[in-house]
Amino acid sequence: MIGEIITQLIRFILLIFVQVLVLNQIEISGELNGFIIPNLYVLFLLMLPVNINKILLLFICFLTGLTVDIFGGTAGMHASACLVLGFFRPGFLHLIAPREGYETTLKLNMAGMGGSTFLIYASTLILIHHLVLFLVEAFTFLNFFELLLRVITCSISTLLLTVLSQFLTQRNREVAK
Amino acid sequence: MRNFFVLIRKYNFFIVFLLLEVVSGVLLVQNSTYQRAAIVGTSNELVGQMYAAYSNVTDYLILGETNRVLAAENARLRKADSSSFYDPKFEIMKVNDSLGLQQYEYISARVINNTVTRVNNYITLDKGSLQGVKPDDAVIGSTGVVGIVKDVSEHFSTVMSVLNSNYKVSSRIKKNDYCGSTVWDGDSPQFAQLFDIPSHAQVTVGDTIVTSAFSGIYPQGVMVGRVSEIGTSGESFKEIKLRLSTDFQKLSYVYVVRNLMKAERDTLEAKTLDVK
Repeated sequence: MIGEIITQLIRFILLIFVQVLVLNQIEISGELNGFIIPNLYVLFLLMLPVNINKILLLFICFLTGLTVDIFGGTAGMHASACLVLGFFRPGFLHLIAPREGYETTLKLNMAGMGGSTFLIYASTLILIHHLVLFLVEAFTFLNFFELLLRVITCSISTLLLTVLSQFLTQRNREVAK
Repeated sequence: MRNFFVLIRKYNFFIVFLLLEVVSGVLLVQNSTYQRAAIVGTSNELVGQMYAAYSNVTDYLILGETNRVLAAENARLRKADSSSFYDPKFEIMKVNDSLGLQQYEYISARVINNTVTRVNNYITLDKGSLQGVKPDDAVIGSTGVVGIVKDVSEHFSTVMSVLNSNYKVSSRIKKNDYCGSTVWDGDSPQFAQLFDIPSHAQVTVGDTIVTSAFSGIYPQGVMVGRVSEIGTSGESFKEIKLRLSTDFQKLSYVYVVRNLMKAERDTLEAKTLDVK
């Protein structure tokens, strides 16, 4: 139990660092400006234990979003998006659950869930998160099509990094064995 | 009341969600400096230290921008340096020769602004009326003609450069004295056209073109350029392309030439024309 908490904490710190110091600093000039903003820190929320208390999950989501907000100076934006993610996560996990239900020791990563299930799980929740994030950021439905395009391209970039990180950590684990 | 608590327990997940969503909404809407300071204040120290360490790394990435800013600052400081103040000293080169009478006087001047890319190019010099520069004085460089003074202020003067479509230099072929006029075609700053040379005149590539004294502005024999191409326009005149001897793209010091007898000559010519 303690080991699990420490693992999650390390993952949290690592992902927040990567998000704040690397990904938030990406500036792409020209046409693509604003269309590639990966939010890799979402991976932390995706990989929280499967049987986590739902209320606790909401609070963790809120605090995670708030941390990113504090560094980005965008009070409330990421927090509300993460909350929506946390709200939909239990229901969605239930929806895609295998017939016999989840084992409590199941790791919510590519190795644990299997590639395609993890992709569906991650891409859906990332899409929800980004949709809320950009809607809250824009706070308007004007230019909705362009906003949708941004949501999709940013989600894809986040998903790419998520899958990439899965491969990286997975290989390390195999080597460690 | 009991039902109310049952309701809360039943939907506690949704209620917590709504509650936190409202909190973040409030944060978002009231994103005033006070709110931001209140949130950030608790972790200010941590955030500050982290960004300090971060900027140590990123400083290397923005060296280009930093260089630009420093260069701008250098320029500002240099402006305050003594070398950037106007130098009121000037020299008029005069030769007192008892055998002849002085006709031309030379004033050295520095080019402080110069264009070559427009159709009508002008040069600005750092000498003006206080140093004796007058409109219609000729300007020559060390290798050839430059232009003619157009306007004069107390300390500066503007020069209509040869690279100006409104300007004709009266020129002649040095070896056989045929006269024509040199006009810039607005194309390359290295080449100009020589017009009005009759088609029977003997011209070969490489011939020297100098100024004629017809205009009364230039001293005669100042180098204009060398013939680089010969064509024919119509039947009676040759069309000659010449390479200008002055490199306008790196002009820095020039001489303003004052014709001391210009007034005398002008009045005489005007009188003759009046009689006609």
